[in-house]
Amino acid sequence: MTNFHPDIDLITEYTAGCLPLAQSACVSLHVTHCRRCQRIAGELNNLGASLFEALEPVHVGDTQLHAVLARLDEEMPLAYANKKGNASDTPAILQRLMRGDFSDLTWKNIGSTLRISYLKSGDPQHEFALYHIRAGGRIPEHTHRGSEMTLILQGGFSDANGSYHKGDFLLRQPGDVHAPTALQSEDCICLAVLDAPLKFTDWKFRWMNPFLKLRTA
Amino acid sequence: MFIVADNFDGDSDSPGEPGGIRTDEWSECLALIARHQDRAAFTRLFRHFAPLMKAFALSGSTLSANHADELVQEVMLKVWQKAGAFNAEKAAASTWIYTIARNCRTDLFRRLQKFDTPLSAEDVSGEEESEEAFMVLHQKRSRDRIRELIKQLPNDQAHILAKVYMEGKSHTEVAGELDLPLGTVKSRVRLALQKLQIQLER
Repeated sequence: MTNFHPDIDLITEYTAGCLPLAQSACVSLHVTHCRRCQRIAGELNNLGASLFEALEPVHVGDTQLHAVLARLDEEMPLAYANKKGNASDTPAILQRLMRGDFSDLTWKNIGSTLRISYLKSGDPQHEFALYHIRAGGRIPEHTHRGSEMTLILQGGFSDANGSYHKGDFLLRQPGDVHAPTALQSEDCICLAVLDAPLKFTDWKFRWMNPFLKLRTA
Repeated sequence: MFIVADNFDGDSDSPGEPGGIRTDEWSECLALIARHQDRAAFTRLFRHFAPLMKAFALSGSTLSANHADELVQEVMLKVWQKAGAFNAEKAAASTWIYTIARNCRTDLFRRLQKFDTPLSAEDVSGEEESEEAFMVLHQKRSRDRIRELIKQLPNDQAHILAKVYMEGKSHTEVAGELDLPLGTVKSRVRLALQKLQIQLER
């Protein structure tokens, strides 16, 4: 059971389909495993459906109907045929983007405790990356130039505001400064979705700032 | 051939049904398509929903009439192909159809913007529906309640909800378009959700 959730504004935009792709993917990873957010998302889908049913209908001619009827025998895309049967603990959308498991990824080391793997989500405005923090390791203090969504996939970490565990969802706003430390018990893997690069405030790491670029798509 | 009973009213189901099974016309149509590939049932669904889908496609968007027609075809084709996955005990037919339309529209926008992604809107829609009985019942009640309460929303709130849900615009985009502060848009949406009794904590 998780304790940190997306707020109602974000779930509203998520269910309305107006969040950028990388952010939707991050929110969906939380929602599929959170009963509370699933309930809200379900209600918001009902709201969307009520608005949909109340739209002023726009005429669709019989030509269109016949065009669809003629296509009904088309072969069904494989994707629908076997969707189930995913026994892995790794969420399906991450498997798709990683083409394998966490161990198959290319990681970029940042200091001795943190490594990052950039995934291509296809979203041109957001960086979609996995952060691997060694158990007990600390990420140098940094601030956010834009917003950062974080979803914990394995283990957990803590910062001055609290401690976060698997499934927890966090949204950092521009200007938030923190220095997360992974829990002692196990390595932490989280997904981070950024719309602007991080900025290290820790003097030992400030030299890296000019080299931090947003890696999108 | 399936005969539509006279007392069927397409726009409402029977909320008081014992056992909680939905028996509205649209759920029946989906069941007939799933079980018998019933084209007459599909035609009935098409006549009711295709005009709504077209309205949805054209809502506040830049889609051309051609793209709107393409979307209608694509959504209806998906409804046909996926009918077997519809479970009337878990969702209302109209909600199920609406989410397909919403996902297809998002995918169409992304295709038009030449996104190169292996993820579809459906992949990230979090639709791993709950098997739990309490959730099923809850969703049904919420749907009937929302349908009733939505009629009582003040215009400004209803208008903003329509922009967000039907036009697919983010709070920031709505604020820009209506020339309102972002905070005002957010609070109107939140107020509307409160009136519809959609809240994180209950």
